[in-house]
Formats: sequence, structure tokens, C-alpha cells
Amino acid sequence: MTRVEQIMGMPIVVDVRDVEDEVALEPIFDWFRWVDETFSTYRADSEVSRLNRAELALADASPQVREVLARCDELRTETNRYFDVHAAADDVLDPSGLVKGWSVDRAAAIADDLGWRNYAINAGGDMRLRGGALPALYWRVGIQHPNERQQVVAVVAGDDLAVATSGAYARGDHVLDPHTHRPPEGVLSVTITGRDLATADAYATAAFAMGTKGPHWTARLRDYEAMTILADGTSLRTPAFPTVD
Amino acid sequence: MRKGTAALLGAAALALPNVNAWAATQQQTAKTKVVTATKSFTGATAQVDRWGYMQVTIVVKKTTTTNLTTKKKKVKRKILAVKVPVSPNHTDRSIFINQNALPILIQETIKAQSTGINMVSGATDSSDGFTQSLQSAILKAKAW
Repeated sequence: MTRVEQIMGMPIVVDVRDVEDEVALEPIFDWFRWVDETFSTYRADSEVSRLNRAELALADASPQVREVLARCDELRTETNRYFDVHAAADDVLDPSGLVKGWSVDRAAAIADDLGWRNYAINAGGDMRLRGGALPALYWRVGIQHPNERQQVVAVVAGDDLAVATSGAYARGDHVLDPHTHRPPEGVLSVTITGRDLATADAYATAAFAMGTKGPHWTARLRDYEAMTILADGTSLRTPAFPTVD
Repeated sequence: MRKGTAALLGAAALALPNVNAWAATQQQTAKTKVVTATKSFTGATAQVDRWGYMQVTIVVKKTTTTNLTTKKKKVKRKILAVKVPVSPNHTDRSIFINQNALPILIQETIKAQSTGINMVSGATDSSDGFTQSLQSAILKAKAW
């Protein structure tokens, strides 16, 4: 059973192989709708918008909002400020960069609680995979070519995996090096795999913003693997990056 | 004579389970009817900010299973392929990378691959032409 909905400004695809009934997918999409209402910077009444207008104190925000913002701060330190939710515009808080991955991680926890064992939850090209695309015992994910989008340049496979890709191809050059305020050069995209999508996504954003220094940084990550596509059409990957033919 | 009857009974006893198995398969195939069809759907042409226009075509397989007893139909749609008949141009931004500086990373020339993938990872959002065109193609397929 596959269902696609446009929530949080992106297509959310849930492909579950354990259930046949579309109604069974409701709790997952309800969750994403709640996340959108709470975290959207496009909705004036969202908690994040109210925090930005100082109408809501952080102490009074919902535990999920506080959890996300705390994790943003941790990742900011971990990535030498290359992942920075304050970087988009001065003094405006926009945790969207973490919310996407975090909400998929939470959706995966809901899926686990529902007893699903074979599913993929994909939010705008970043995803969590579990079990397999039955009858296959694992999921195969194509990594899109940053420029020639109909092409897949690598295939990763796994039965318990998060995959996140960051690149210049989303909204033009929307990822900026927070230190120079310019788009990174020499790199077209960075894909990170690991257990947790929020972390993988933040690492992908940070490594991409680092430009040609990114691959060095990803080579030192623990429990997360990386593939960087360079502007000259070559790729660099860490030895345990889960590519298959 | 006695021996002959015994042999005949034995043969009948042996034959019985086979007859039942045959009846069961007949019943199973008679109860449902499966029809498959394949069709292409082309999404709307969408502007891609820097790269021109993009249009996506999906090839969808529709499997209709009809339960002949209850007359209930179950429809499954599966995207078999995603094609981009109108693809954007891109500017080549090549840059020199010092390969000796990256000893612990594996370097490869990227090449197109397409074998049996379930999902695609890439940076997309609603303002992205590929997603917009794909969405409209999926909506058309859903109505089929």
C-alpha cells in the first residue's frame, strides 16, 4: 500500500508492505499534519511563528518543539555551526531543516508501534526504511543525479536505514555556507546514511555547506556513511557507504 | 478375487486426497479474476528555477482483482518507471579537486543506474518542477 500526500510543502510517500488497507495509514499522515501545524514558518498561528514573534515563551512551547530546538543546538555544535537553524535569516528561527528528518523518525516509531515491519517513509527525498519491499528483504534506494534528475547515480540498500540527500538542486542554491553566506562550491550533493534521519539530514546539510571540505568531515563521522557528488562528475564515498549494484 | 478388491480399495483411497486437492485449486481460481493493464501518464510541464522546464511521465501497472463471489474489486497501482521527456539543461560547473588529499575516501566516476529501485533520494520540495510534474502525473494515475 502506497500513499502520497503533500504536507509541509513536500510530497510525503508512505509505502508499507504489511497492510493492505489505506485507512491504516491515517495515524502517520495525521502525525505529519500535526507537525506542519506546529512547526510551519508559513502559518502565522504555528508555535514556531509565535515563538518568533515572542508571543510564546520557549518554556511554554510543547515538549516536541523544545526537543527539536535542543537537538538543533546540539547539531550546531557538532557540525562546527555548518548546520545552523538561525542561518536562514537574521534572528529568525527556522528549524525546518531538522523538523523534516525528525518527523520521519517519529513517524517510523508510530509505524513500529502499529506493528509494521516492512515500510518506507519518504519526506521530500529523505527517508527511513525498515524491513524490505516484500518479497525483497530490503529496500533499494536510488540516489538522484543532482543535475540530470532522471538519472540515478548510485543505489543503496538496507533493512534498517535512514537516507538523506542535500544539494543545490532543491530551491536553487538554498543551502548557504553560514560562515561566508554564499553557496558552497565544487559540490553538487551529499548523501548520508545511518540509523537516525534527523541526524543524517543535518549532517548532509552541514557537509554540503562545507563545500570541498565536506568529504573530509564526513570521513570522520561515527555510525554515519557519506557519498559526495563533486562538480566534476566524480563521487567520493566512505568505505562502508551501503551501495549495491 | 479378495486380493483384487483390496487393491481396488487401496487405489480409491489413494486417489481421494488428489481429487480433493484438484477441487480446491479449481475453487480458488474460479473465485477471483485478476486483470492487469499498463498505462503511461504525463504530468504538467513545470518550470524549474534555473534549469528551464521539466515534464515527468510515469508508467503505471494496474492490477484489478475481482472476487467473483462477493463482486468486490481490489485495485493496486504500481509505478513501473519514471521518465523525463522534457529535461532541463544544466550548466557545467567543474572544479579541480585535489585527489591526493582524500586518502580514506573511495573515488568513482558517477554513472547512470536504474535497476529495480523502490525510492529515490534527492533534494526536492514543492517549488521543484520535478516534484510538481510527478505529483500531477500520480493524480492522473489515481483517477484511472
